[in-house]
Amino acid sequence: MTADSLSAPYTVEFPFERTVGPKIGTFLGGLRDGQLYGVRTARGVLCAPLEFEPETGAETGELVPVANTGTVTSWTWVRSRPGDPVPHDFAWALIAIDGTIGALFHAVDAGGDSGRMATGMRVRARWRAERVGQLSDIECFEVAS
Amino acid sequence: MTEVLPEPVTTMPNPFRMDYTYVAGTGRSVFLRGLAERKLIARRCAGCGQVYLPPPEFCSRCLTELDAPFELDGRGVVSTFCVVSFPFPGQRIDPPYVVAHIQPHGAGTRLMHLVREIGPEDVHIGMEVEPVWVSDDELGTSLLSIRHFRPVHKGGADA
Ligand SMILES: [Zn+2]
Repeated sequence: MTADSLSAPYTVEFPFERTVGPKIGTFLGGLRDGQLYGVRTARGVLCAPLEFEPETGAETGELVPVANTGTVTSWTWVRSRPGDPVPHDFAWALIAIDGTIGALFHAVDAGGDSGRMATGMRVRARWRAERVGQLSDIECFEVAS
Repeated sequence: MTEVLPEPVTTMPNPFRMDYTYVAGTGRSVFLRGLAERKLIARRCAGCGQVYLPPPEFCSRCLTELDAPFELDGRGVVSTFCVVSFPFPGQRIDPPYVVAHIQPHGAGTRLMHLVREIGPEDVHIGMEVEPVWVSDDELGTSLLSIRHFRPVHKGGADA
């Protein structure tokens, strides 16, 4: 009897803007300029930065430029859908940026081959040519040989 | 170290959008097709007596299949309501306006819909309302076939 069921397209949309605060705001400004930044904490440089150290609640310190390379600490393989950062199947991954603590969540383009993905693999940020101060200014990370 | 830091970004777009296909199911499709004919179609559970509007196929309490569909006239009472005073994207009506939970007479469930043709300050819980249907060419398998609900004006006695 399911053939008797009506169906219709249905879209849920909330077009929010959020304020980002000074630390993340500077981090995003760095992305616009094509440079990753971390923030100093007692444990080391945290990237992606936060206003407060998640372990102690202490306010974090100054922002410092960091590398645009890192190591995949965790990943999951997904099919590419409209609006995704990579046009073929890719991985969402946690990436420990070199010289920092914490992890940056971003896409990894492995050329559509999940067999190239591994924890511990080396990746490098692929920057967009036109950047606006958003996380998508990094198109994705790509495999660094 | 004196680093020249980037000019901070102050806001970022945080859009939330998900595209679904809504599948009404056989039971609710009966209700939706009724709306296209200006009918409010309910079904009763033989197990517990609950009357559903809109009706699913099975009672959510008993999991028994509901009895045959029947029609309600749509008059009911406001069981609760809120005055929407806040503008937002996609809004169809200028605020302020009233959105109410309406319990149709004979139903054990509530419909959510607009209450208009009355000032928001005069709407109250327990007031009797009736549906105002759209014109024939606007009718469809949607609750939008009811333009809104309005207060029932008692039949002429004090007119
Ligand atoms: Zn029941």
